[in-house]
Amino acid sequence: MALDPMTHERELETIDFNINIGPQHPATHGVFRMVLVVDGEEVVDLVPHIGYMHRGAEKLSEFMDYRQAIGYQDRTEYLAQFNAEMTYVQAVEKLAGIEPPERSQYIRIILAELNRISSHFMFLGAFGVDLGIIGTSFMYAFREREHILDLFEEITGDRLMYAYFRPGGVAWDVPRNFKERVRWVCEQALIGADDLDKLLTDNEIFIARTLGIGRLSIEDAINYGATGPVLRASGLKFDLRRDEPYSIYDRFDFEIPVGKNGDSYDRYLVRLAEIHQSVRIVLQALDQLPEGPILPERLPRLLRPAPGEIYMRCENPRGEYGIYLVSRGTTQPYRLRIRSSCFANLSALKHMTIGHYVADAVTILGSIDIVLCEVDR
Amino acid sequence: MSLLAWGLFGVDMNVWLDAFLRLQLVVVVMTVTVMFLIYFERKFVGRIQMRLGPMRTGPYGSLQSVADALKLLTKEDLRPSTADFWLFELAPYVTFIPAFMTLMALPFMEGWGVRNLQLGLFYIVAVSGVTVIGYIMAGWASDNKYALLGAVRSAAQLISYEIPLILAVLAASMVAGSLNINDIIYLQDTVPNIVLQPLPFVILMIALLAELSRRPFDIPIGESELVGGPWVEYSGIRWSIIFALSEYALLWGMSILTAMVFFGGWEWPFGTRSWWGDFDFLYQLLLIFVKSFLLILVVMWVSATFPRLRIDQLMAFCWKILLPFGFLQVMINGIVLMYLKDSEVARDIVLFLTSSALLVAMGYVIYWATRQAPREVRVGPEYALGSISR
Amino acid sequence: MIGVLKSLGLTMSTMLRKPVTIQYPSAHRSVPERDRAFPILLWDFEIDESFCTGCHACERACPVECMTVTMMDNPKFAEGKSKRRKILDEFFIDYARCMRCNICVEVCNFDAIAMNNTWAGHELSVVDRKDLVMDREQLLALSKTRQIRPWVPS
Repeated sequence: MALDPMTHERELETIDFNINIGPQHPATHGVFRMVLVVDGEEVVDLVPHIGYMHRGAEKLSEFMDYRQAIGYQDRTEYLAQFNAEMTYVQAVEKLAGIEPPERSQYIRIILAELNRISSHFMFLGAFGVDLGIIGTSFMYAFREREHILDLFEEITGDRLMYAYFRPGGVAWDVPRNFKERVRWVCEQALIGADDLDKLLTDNEIFIARTLGIGRLSIEDAINYGATGPVLRASGLKFDLRRDEPYSIYDRFDFEIPVGKNGDSYDRYLVRLAEIHQSVRIVLQALDQLPEGPILPERLPRLLRPAPGEIYMRCENPRGEYGIYLVSRGTTQPYRLRIRSSCFANLSALKHMTIGHYVADAVTILGSIDIVLCEVDR
Repeated sequence: MSLLAWGLFGVDMNVWLDAFLRLQLVVVVMTVTVMFLIYFERKFVGRIQMRLGPMRTGPYGSLQSVADALKLLTKEDLRPSTADFWLFELAPYVTFIPAFMTLMALPFMEGWGVRNLQLGLFYIVAVSGVTVIGYIMAGWASDNKYALLGAVRSAAQLISYEIPLILAVLAASMVAGSLNINDIIYLQDTVPNIVLQPLPFVILMIALLAELSRRPFDIPIGESELVGGPWVEYSGIRWSIIFALSEYALLWGMSILTAMVFFGGWEWPFGTRSWWGDFDFLYQLLLIFVKSFLLILVVMWVSATFPRLRIDQLMAFCWKILLPFGFLQVMINGIVLMYLKDSEVARDIVLFLTSSALLVAMGYVIYWATRQAPREVRVGPEYALGSISR
Repeated sequence: MIGVLKSLGLTMSTMLRKPVTIQYPSAHRSVPERDRAFPILLWDFEIDESFCTGCHACERACPVECMTVTMMDNPKFAEGKSKRRKILDEFFIDYARCMRCNICVEVCNFDAIAMNNTWAGHELSVVDRKDLVMDREQLLALSKTRQIRPWVPS
């Protein structure tokens, strides 16, 4: 099918078929619309349409003071809330020059890593459903996720929208049986990860559906700005917790799983391995958890950081989540810009999908693991 | 109770009336079984997923199928205004009636079937292939491009998987030397065909999954992409004729056939020893139902566990793996049966060994094929020039 | 073929585990002490009035502006029975806007508002959206009837 160099039209008259995998669809994670132009069964072009879930989180945050705006971070990244809150709260602390006490740093790390585990479980469940196992992988993954969410409910009071971190520390202390509960949850998480491993990893049908699908080379990943498991699966060992350690990550010992080919199978394997590494971090942090206060002594009622700007980035389960914060010295941020990891990862979708079949488009979208609220904010 | 052995009610009646009454009995049993199977699948799949399944309607949710049927009967019967009227209306029936016609040739007990056909196996396989026409009719008549896409894919899949199905039952009937199902069962009184022919059994189970459009072969009703496939415009009782009745009736019918051809039907282990005197038929019925039920369990178990194959992988699996191995099995059967027709024990042992060897070879080929690097991506992003706002 | 058989073995083994779901309307799972449903007001039984004085602190701190508070002079202060000069007159919370962030509980000087930690706080379906705007009596109802032991973070 050669292209006429003048008019960019194809010389042989064929009609391409447009398939609209529309905003309401069981397979797109959230309200995401992609229009596939297919030639027979092969995808020739892909046009993504986003913005169905734009709710103006950044603009609304300009009318909130620094404590009230934490709620919006939860709702932007609704599967990795503690990681998003941690990014925001650290950005505010750096601007205001507050140092959170040790105990709250450890609590933050433990909760953020547990949240990473629960987010990866959500991916494992949803990936199975995208491939066609209606229900089985979902139930196994959610069984473990329920344990983690129950733990969070005992600590913070809410199952999904915590608003627990504050600039300076955490809002209130953890309950007395924290250590035993976290240890038990970690054990269950390992059992669950093992279950899903047995269900999917060596399954020939799963391998046939994901091996070699949606290849992304290292250069392309860097050019598109992909970060997180997508980048690590392509082969680059880059993790912000190791390369630009924030909070107290430099005190823990963990590995960074890296893939070889950058296809969907590698992205799945990388996330499965990250669950084990997160459990490692949590157990180390539990051993080192000190007693003490959770908020600094003199914390003003309404925070007024010094005028300035900061860009703080953290390693979310989906990649690099960044907060660019500009303060004019008032109680409300002047500009709060969220650098969304899923947005950059999603921009590589067209490059990854062209040449594959229609069914693979759904697989690749599932393997990038997007959260629509983060793409659209 | 030898009343039931020939003619209903022991009276020599008109041949047509006799056939009609037997048919009614089979219909009643089929309907009850289908309703039970729907409920059972939901409970079973629920248990696999560590949840409860239906619990509210009736004790432990046992009246769920009745509730579903009532709900579907009272739904609005939609038809797109641009749909081709006759094709749209008739498509569900064209799918369902062949599924039911296969039940006519099955001997449920010794000597009792609706009709005892000399070409029983041939009839069953031929008739179950007519369902494809129903799929294409539905897809075309719905005036919906996604339905058409689903119908074309499903036609390709169903037609392709007919051939391994035929080869598998052919291999088994070669061992018996006849296409009459009663004969095949009689010749399994000491050792069932599953021992002699494991490879055709596996091929038959896989082809059965594909014929019923169950996972891992459910691209036509692919719920994650083209939701519903060719039946996307159907609603109410019409939809349930396909998804409930014809799928489960065909599942039940084919699993009874598999139980008869490969597991010895009502004969093995002790079916015709006349231990029970006149109540022998009860034991035979029990054997048949238990065996077919276990096979249905296996089908549901497999269906709940695996992701679905992509359409090209599905076709490749059929034409490049199942078909060559089916042919090899038939050829080897022919050779063995020709040269070893004197000694039965030697023939059995050689059949078992060759078939198991082929089964292991097929497993190895599947393993090797899935680890291959996939085909090169032929179209790159350069092709998509200037197509941003098409 | 081995991977396929492993998956089948796994699903058979999970079938033998206890189901993890419960039958919801007949059986409820227990909510923890810190559960954070919608806010309710607390009743002071010693003096027989609400703790809330209507000081507007929570109303100002609410991110979504879901509260409306008015205060009045406390008749019991004039009689000498209570130490609160002003008392709550009307208090409206729109549960449809509330995002349950807990900030109103944190800023309250009198520990007068707390998050509902019972199942009643979660089972709030109404037919008309206007019914989700709770007034003073509805907010005080649970505390007046001594049905809850709220958890206020220290």
